Amino acid sequence: MPKFFLNKRLIILLVSIMVLVALIGFSLKERNELTWMEKFVKDTVVFMQSIVHKPAQLVAGFFENVNDLRHTYEENKQLKAHLEQYVLLQSEVESLKKENERLRELLDKKESLRDFVAIQATVIGRNPDRWEETLIVNKGSQHGVKKDMAVITPQGLIGKVRSVSPFSATVQLLSANDRQNRISAFIQGDENVFGLIEGYDEEREALLLKRIPYDAKINEGQRVFTSGLGGIFPKGLFIGEVEEVVADEYGLTQIAYIKPAANFYDIDDVMIVKRKIEMSQEEEGQ
Amino acid sequence: MRRLLLPSFVTVMFLLESIIVQLFPDPLFDVYLLVPRILLILIVFITIFIGQTEGMTYGFIFGLLYDVAYTELLGAYAFAFSLVAYLIAKAINIFHKNAWTASFFAIVAIACVEWYAYAIQLVISGTTMPVQTFLQSRFLPTLFIHTIVILIVAYPLKQMLLKWYEKQDESSRV
Repeated sequence: MPKFFLNKRLIILLVSIMVLVALIGFSLKERNELTWMEKFVKDTVVFMQSIVHKPAQLVAGFFENVNDLRHTYEENKQLKAHLEQYVLLQSEVESLKKENERLRELLDKKESLRDFVAIQATVIGRNPDRWEETLIVNKGSQHGVKKDMAVITPQGLIGKVRSVSPFSATVQLLSANDRQNRISAFIQGDENVFGLIEGYDEEREALLLKRIPYDAKINEGQRVFTSGLGGIFPKGLFIGEVEEVVADEYGLTQIAYIKPAANFYDIDDVMIVKRKIEMSQEEEGQ
Repeated sequence: MRRLLLPSFVTVMFLLESIIVQLFPDPLFDVYLLVPRILLILIVFITIFIGQTEGMTYGFIFGLLYDVAYTELLGAYAFAFSLVAYLIAKAINIFHKNAWTASFFAIVAIACVEWYAYAIQLVISGTTMPVQTFLQSRFLPTLFIHTIVILIVAYPLKQMLLKWYEKQDESSRV
């Protein structure tokens, strides 16, 4: 046996590289659940983090407040203008809602894909490594969070739950580069156009809505919502607005660049959305 | 009590890394992908001023915590941090142990770990970022900020580590 194979350090290094490769392979595998060890460590870290988070937030909040004060006047003017429109809109929504309910009763269809229950959660951390944009939130399977649920802020959809432990969950943002992350969506217009959100263009900071029929007519500024056809997301969560439409490489379908409505950087509170109609029910119905 | 000081300090810094990224988002974090590497700086300083065993232990334990709690890519940072601690422990024998060499090694370690993380992400196709973008928006800004931070904290950090370990040495000698 050559001498360097007897070198203890070299053998340790080789063994640890093998273990590293095996572990990375293990963690890249499609996993439905984390191991109990990971869950325990995550929950412990989240618990400690929520203690440290409070004072850190106070410090950060102070600088933010100063910044906010400078823009108060401008914002106030804008808000006043919005408020008048809002009253009109509200009365319209009320009447539409009532009409919708009445029609539903007539049809005997009580639940729709739109109905959801929201679980409020606070963001207490973010992946510092920043290769994969993930958030850590303080609600977990004990509060009813499950893998793949949609996560929204008041502005719109921001991502989905990637992994859950009893008291915390990891949220994968839409801006993450994950090809398995597909969301069924539609572009709202006279005729709704359906497609799939697949991937994120980092340079343009836009989501890619693919598989749009080649003859569909889409204008810039049209709004994009989740369609609820993917199985877990409810219908009608706002994603963003169309920025540009191009033909795909084969010219068979179109690709739309979607400017996401939610800001992926400044997130403090999120809602984890649970659809009222479960997957299984839907399958039975078909 | 003194024994607990260092572990709890490292733990708080470990937690702060994640919180910093979340709480101070704009405008710096928006334009550049700044990555806090406080933990790595601490590991380098612990290795140099306290010892190889301590450095590697802290590197492995907190690297593993980092993997499990944040990146969900098991083993990557546990391996990197302990290897960095080992190599630096070997390399420091040639140099004097002072705040300057420690700062130098900390900056080199950050650069190496950044490239290592980028390489791993490329291999597992976790990113499609071209090298140019990596250098401009991630590597250089991160290195720049850390160079400034390290030069400011190097001396106090060294004094602090030495002070925390002075008493222990005496008690173990007796």
